Amino acid sequence: MESHVDHVLIVDDDREIRELVSTYLTKNGLRVTMAPDGRHMRQFLDANTVDLIVLDVMLPGDDGLVLCRELRAGKHKSTPVLMLTARDDETDRIIGLEMGADDYLTKPFAARELLARIKAVLRRTRMLPPNLQITEAGQMLAFGDWQLDTTARHLIDNEGTIVALSGAEYRLLRVFVDHPQRVLNRDQLLNLTQGREADMFERSVDLLVSRLRQRLKDDAREPAYIKTVRSEGYVFSMPVEITEARQ
Amino acid sequence: MSTRRWRWPHTMGSRLFLILLAGMIVAHLMSFAVLFSERYMSARQVMLGTLETDVATSVAILDRIPAAERPQWLPRVNRGNYQYILGPGSPGVPEMTQRGRDIAERIMEATGTHYPVTVQSIPGDGKQLQAHLTLSDGSPLTIDVHPRMTPIAEWLPYVLVLQLLLLILCCWFAVRLSIRPLVALADAADALNPNTRSQPLDEHGPTELAQAARAFNAMRDRIAHFVEERVQILAAISHDLQTPITRMKLRAEMAEDSEEKRKLVSDLAEIQTLVREGLAYARSTGGDSEEASRIDLGSFVESLVYDYQDTGKDVTIGENAGGAIVTRRNALRRVLTNLIDNAIKYGGGAAEVGVRRERDTVVISIMDRGPGIPEDKLEAVLQPFVRLEGSRNRETGGTGLGLAIAHQLAAAIGGSLTLRNREGGGLAADIRLG
Repeated sequence: MESHVDHVLIVDDDREIRELVSTYLTKNGLRVTMAPDGRHMRQFLDANTVDLIVLDVMLPGDDGLVLCRELRAGKHKSTPVLMLTARDDETDRIIGLEMGADDYLTKPFAARELLARIKAVLRRTRMLPPNLQITEAGQMLAFGDWQLDTTARHLIDNEGTIVALSGAEYRLLRVFVDHPQRVLNRDQLLNLTQGREADMFERSVDLLVSRLRQRLKDDAREPAYIKTVRSEGYVFSMPVEITEARQ
Repeated sequence: MSTRRWRWPHTMGSRLFLILLAGMIVAHLMSFAVLFSERYMSARQVMLGTLETDVATSVAILDRIPAAERPQWLPRVNRGNYQYILGPGSPGVPEMTQRGRDIAERIMEATGTHYPVTVQSIPGDGKQLQAHLTLSDGSPLTIDVHPRMTPIAEWLPYVLVLQLLLLILCCWFAVRLSIRPLVALADAADALNPNTRSQPLDEHGPTELAQAARAFNAMRDRIAHFVEERVQILAAISHDLQTPITRMKLRAEMAEDSEEKRKLVSDLAEIQTLVREGLAYARSTGGDSEEASRIDLGSFVESLVYDYQDTGKDVTIGENAGGAIVTRRNALRRVLTNLIDNAIKYGGGAAEVGVRRERDTVVISIMDRGPGIPEDKLEAVLQPFVRLEGSRNRETGGTGLGLAIAHQLAAAIGGSLTLRNREGGGLAADIRLG
């Protein structure tokens, strides 16, 4: 029973793409406003607020990355941003996320993919506890011997070696470190772990937890990080600290 | 005709060395010979001159003193080249060499006016002469002549050897000096890879070498420029296609469901893949700006495999001898995903990943149990847009760039990619790092 209609601002310099996307999203129950460039976006945001901004990277004048950074510094800093990039590689994704984007989508994209991402980002930002709602540029989360790089989505040990995480492992770990010292049952973990690949094949939470323990070099019998709470679920028992150490 | 002909040594260096050394040794010997004969002539002149006056004096002295005192005087008048014998001497023959005749003539000139004299050569080494004359008291006197040069100084052979060594050393040094830049040029040409920025050749040194180095560097720059241009064109085309493809995709999605729409969407997906791969290939040759970082290889490969498993793909991990390595991880991930995708697409739907260590090298293998690749095509398929006969098929949607990208990127991160057919069927792709 949701009476609130999510309002999305689409910033893209291609009129047709804008209109096609707008038509599709409106048809699927969103309210859409369009802007062809950064100037129009600023004008609109001066007087209005939206629930999410879809921002193209390649724009005339200030590009999407500049605009995204600007948004993060201003009064719309908590509005989620979904970037549209032309490049399908890690570098672009990382730059986008470092500029403060919440997610990214590569052009050419399908409209339903965009819709799914928009919904996932909205769900995720609403579910996060207030202290972690804003994705800061280059945010690092530190706990125990580890640092979690939230843009590159990997762990770094205290010697600086990168320990990679699979998508599911990262999302589960992210749920744990976002909710430290709280007992989470399997259903909660499963729900929170579903990210943008929500339709993917689901691994059992227990298997994922055991893999995560392996990654963290956590002893399964006497775990220091993720503890098992009998008949309830799991708890992340390390204090988590937000650092901005990345550079 | 002998079948074994003299053959030049293979290297330019040894040829030059031989020519120089032979020439210098011949020249050296010639000047030595000239010097030697000149010395011989003058020495002979001196010898003949002294022989004439000396013999005249000595014979006059021996003639004057009483016969009994003569033997005591002999040591005083004997010389290195000739001795006096109080007696008839040995029998000889009148034939003699030119030198012998010269000497005989001198002796005759010195003594012949006062005493009857005959000069004969003694058979043997052909050099010994004896002059027989009769003194005024009637007793015979023989001048025994052993014409010979003053012996060569003992140190002379050492000097000769030393000079020879000096010659060899100088030749070797000169050859090395002239060959080295050539070798450097060949090495640079061998190492020429437009994808990686290598050091230009040193443009200093002798004029010809500097000119060659400049020409080479210019050629290298031109090649790099061509490659860059090719990559940029590919990137520009791919990039500019993205906006129209996005529009088409969106428009197709809006259309009513129909067979036509399904086909359109599938065609668009194919174009999109081609554009994306084209861009990726263009970038893989252009050298990315990604920094290398130290990664735990075990978890790197594992997390990648798990990502495949989580999307329902049959990808497994076998031996996983991890450890930390320093590499450009995004490039490495791209290499691995391309190869795993390839194995899934063409290799029977399943892939197995293994990591092992061979001494200092880490080998990551991606293996399948598909039909493999004919041995003579194993290298060709690493080239862009090269596909195997029969795999150019719409269903699989291959662009012919996946392996080329993996190959380029593997080289860009200082590794290598090789394909081989497995025992028992299937293809294995080995990435060697470090």
